[in-house]
Amino acid sequence: MSDSRVLSNQNYCFELKRLGIALAVAGVLLATLPARAQDTPPPAAPPPSSSTGLSGYMDFHYNKTRQEDGQLDFHRFVLLVTHQFSDRIRFVSELELENAFVEGLEEAGELELEQAYLDFLLSRSFNLRAGMLLMPVGIINERHEPPVYYGVERPLVETVIIPTTWFEVGVGAHGEVGRGWRYRAFLTAPLNAAEFSAEEGLRNGRQKGSRTNIGRAAATGRLEYVGIRGLTAGASLWAGASGFEFRPRFDVPVRIYEADVRYSRDRFEGRAQLAHVTIAGAGDLNDAIFRNTGVSPNVARALRGGYLEASYRVISGARYGDVGVFARHEKVDTQFRMPSGYLPLEEFDRDLWTFGATYWPEPDIALKVDYVHQRNRSAIIRAPSSFNIGLGWWF
Amino acid sequence: MRILLLVCALAAVSASARSLMAEQADQTEQTAQAQPAPAEQTVEIAAERFSFTPSEVKTRVGTKLTIRLTSDDTAHGFRILGTHVNIEIPKRGRGVTTVSFTPEAAGRYTFECSKLCGAGHGFMRGVIVAEDAVKGEQ
Repeated sequence: MSDSRVLSNQNYCFELKRLGIALAVAGVLLATLPARAQDTPPPAAPPPSSSTGLSGYMDFHYNKTRQEDGQLDFHRFVLLVTHQFSDRIRFVSELELENAFVEGLEEAGELELEQAYLDFLLSRSFNLRAGMLLMPVGIINERHEPPVYYGVERPLVETVIIPTTWFEVGVGAHGEVGRGWRYRAFLTAPLNAAEFSAEEGLRNGRQKGSRTNIGRAAATGRLEYVGIRGLTAGASLWAGASGFEFRPRFDVPVRIYEADVRYSRDRFEGRAQLAHVTIAGAGDLNDAIFRNTGVSPNVARALRGGYLEASYRVISGARYGDVGVFARHEKVDTQFRMPSGYLPLEEFDRDLWTFGATYWPEPDIALKVDYVHQRNRSAIIRAPSSFNIGLGWWF
Repeated sequence: MRILLLVCALAAVSASARSLMAEQADQTEQTAQAQPAPAEQTVEIAAERFSFTPSEVKTRVGTKLTIRLTSDDTAHGFRILGTHVNIEIPKRGRGVTTVSFTPEAAGRYTFECSKLCGAGHGFMRGVIVAEDAVKGEQ
C-alpha cells in the first residue's frame, strides 16, 4: 500500500472517529433539553416516565444429524433488561447464555452481551444510539425471538454469510420518516479477517465488543420500508477494513450487500433474502495465515447466499393454538469466487431444503420440528442432513 | 462515512421540508375559511415486532380519535408520550383493544410500544399529527 493511501486511510479513520464523537456529544446535549422541545406538545398530565423492564426468551433443541447420535442442547437462555430514564433516554440490554454452560479455554458455551446501548430519542426522524449494537443487516439479526421464525435453527445464510447474531460496539443514528421509511446508520468495530474461514464464512470474525480493534471503524446502513401491514422490505450495506492484524503490510476491505423482504397476510407468510460479500485482499490473507500456521483458511474473495421461504398457518385461532407449516430453500456458497491461485472447496457450495411445522399453543411459545436436506457439490464429502425439534418461548 | 453524511443530509432536508410545508400551510390559513373539525375519527393500528402500521396518523385538533389496536404476534403496549394513554395490546388472536385520544393542541404526538417485546422493541414508534381544522381542509 502506498504512503499516500495509508495517509488517506488515516485521515478517513480520523474523520470517522471525530464524527462519532460529535454525534454522541450532540445526542447527549439534545437529549437533556427540556421535553418541550420534542415532537409531542407540552403534556397536560404526564405520567411517570421512569421504569425498568425484564423479559427474555429461551430455546431448547434436539438435533439428530445423519449417522451421528442425537444431541440435546439448551441453545439459548436470553434475558433482556431495559430502563427508561425518561421519555427521551432509555437503556436496552440483552444478555445471552448460549449452549447452557461456559467453561474457560475450552470450546463450550458462550456468555454474550448482545445488546447494551443508550438511546437518545430526539425526534421521530433522528435519534442517536451508542453502546453494544445489533448490526442492522438481514431479517433475523434484529428479530430473532424463537416464536417469530420458522425452523429450529436459523437459516444457514444468516449464519455464515450474515454472522447472526451479529453485534458490535459503536454509535449511530436511526429514525423513521413519512409513513414507514426507516433507516439505521452505525459506526462500529469491524470484523476480524484473521478469523474468516472457508466453512464458516465471516462468522468467527465477529469481535463481539470484547477489547475490539477500532483502528478503522466499519460503517453499516439499512433502509427499510414498513408502511404496509405485514410487509418489511429492506436493504443493508456493511463496509469495513477488517485486516487490522495484518496492517500495514496489507488490509482486507470487506463489503456486505444484502436485500430482504418479508410479507405476511392472514395465514400466509413469505420471506426472501439475498446477501453478497466481497473480501478484497483474500489472497494476501490466505498467504499470511498459511505462513503463520501452515494451514490456509481458503477464504474466498466473494461469498453469496440467499433463500426463499413460504409458510402457511393450517390452523389459526383455534382454542388449543395455531399450527403452521413451511418450506425453505437456501443456496449458500462461501467459496463463490476465489482469489487467484486458490481453488474452491466444493463441499462449501451448499444448498438446503428445510421442511417443517410449528405449533404455537399460545403466541409466545413455539414447538418446532423440521427436516433439513443438505447437498453440496463435492463428490467426496457428503453434506449432513438432519432432523430437529425445538421448543422456544418468549416472556 | 458517506452513509452517515447522507443520513444527516436526509434528516436536514426532511426538517427543512417540514418547516417549509408548515410555512405554506400558515400562509394558506390566512385566506381559508375555518372549517369545524369532525367530531370523531377511527383508525386501526396493527402492531408486530417491531413496527406499528400505520406509524403516522393524521387528525385534527378537537377530534376524538378512536384507535383500534391489534397485534400480529406477542403482546405490545401503546403509549402516547405526555398523556395518560398507555394500554396493553393483546396477543395475536386475542382480540382488539380500543383507546380514545382527543388532541387539544396542534402538534406531533409521539406514540411507542410500552411493553418490552423483543430485541428491536426500541424501533416501535409512531406519531399522531394533529392539525388545526383549517389546515386539515387544505
